[in-house]
Amino acid sequence: MSWASRLAEFGPGAVGRDSGGTEPDPRFTFANERTFLAWSRTALALVVAGLGVVQLLPPFPGVPAGRHLLGVPLIVLGAVLAVVAYSEWVRNQRALRRGEPLPRTIMPWILAATITIMAVIAAIVLLISALR
Amino acid sequence: MTPDHPDQRDHPALAGDDPEERDPGLARERTSLSWTRTAIAFAALGGVVLKENVITGLIVLAIAPVIWGLGRVSRGSPQAPGLHRLGPGRLFFISVAIVAVALLSLLIAILGKSVPGALR
Repeated sequence: MSWASRLAEFGPGAVGRDSGGTEPDPRFTFANERTFLAWSRTALALVVAGLGVVQLLPPFPGVPAGRHLLGVPLIVLGAVLAVVAYSEWVRNQRALRRGEPLPRTIMPWILAATITIMAVIAAIVLLISALR
Repeated sequence: MTPDHPDQRDHPALAGDDPEERDPGLARERTSLSWTRTAIAFAALGGVVLKENVITGLIVLAIAPVIWGLGRVSRGSPQAPGLHRLGPGRLFFISVAIVAVALLSLLIAILGKSVPGALR
């Protein structure tokens, strides 16, 4: 399958064109939509946090790039979460339409792993700047 | 459960132990509130960006009422035939908007003039 057809599977018309299934219970559709919106707000919060770290925190002594090291990955993670949240919504909606089990999601794993890594980096940056 | 509500006496199918079974509109209400929260989140981000870059901040702020307006579609009937067709487009717009805002924020973070110590 080419990249173009793979991308088309996640386009805005992909779910509507899916003639293989039937319209699911509206409550499930709404629940899927709320989950997507909750992930979108998480993505926005990460962007705000990243921007705040870079723009508002005082510089770390001894670590000139410390603020960018902490803030930029948060902003990038926000963008990644927004894209993955949409693709998860499409996959879930397709499964609901076809009456299949919901696919496994990697989003909590991505979020937990990145936050853990960022916390470790933040601790190292703080330690280095405190020792200076 | 006793059908003490007039709607339940008229429509026995609405009666049940599950609140959503009694009133499927609750799901729609929660979704509507979720759209409102998302619009507020965009407005909050716009406020933060506005502090750093006025034009970009205004663009992000302008997205907030659009999100709120898109959420109004969810307040229609859950059986609305166009719901599944409208849904993907609305949600796709939110994803694209967040990615665009993240890219703008990245530019501001890397190239923008910081206000060090504002949170000191």
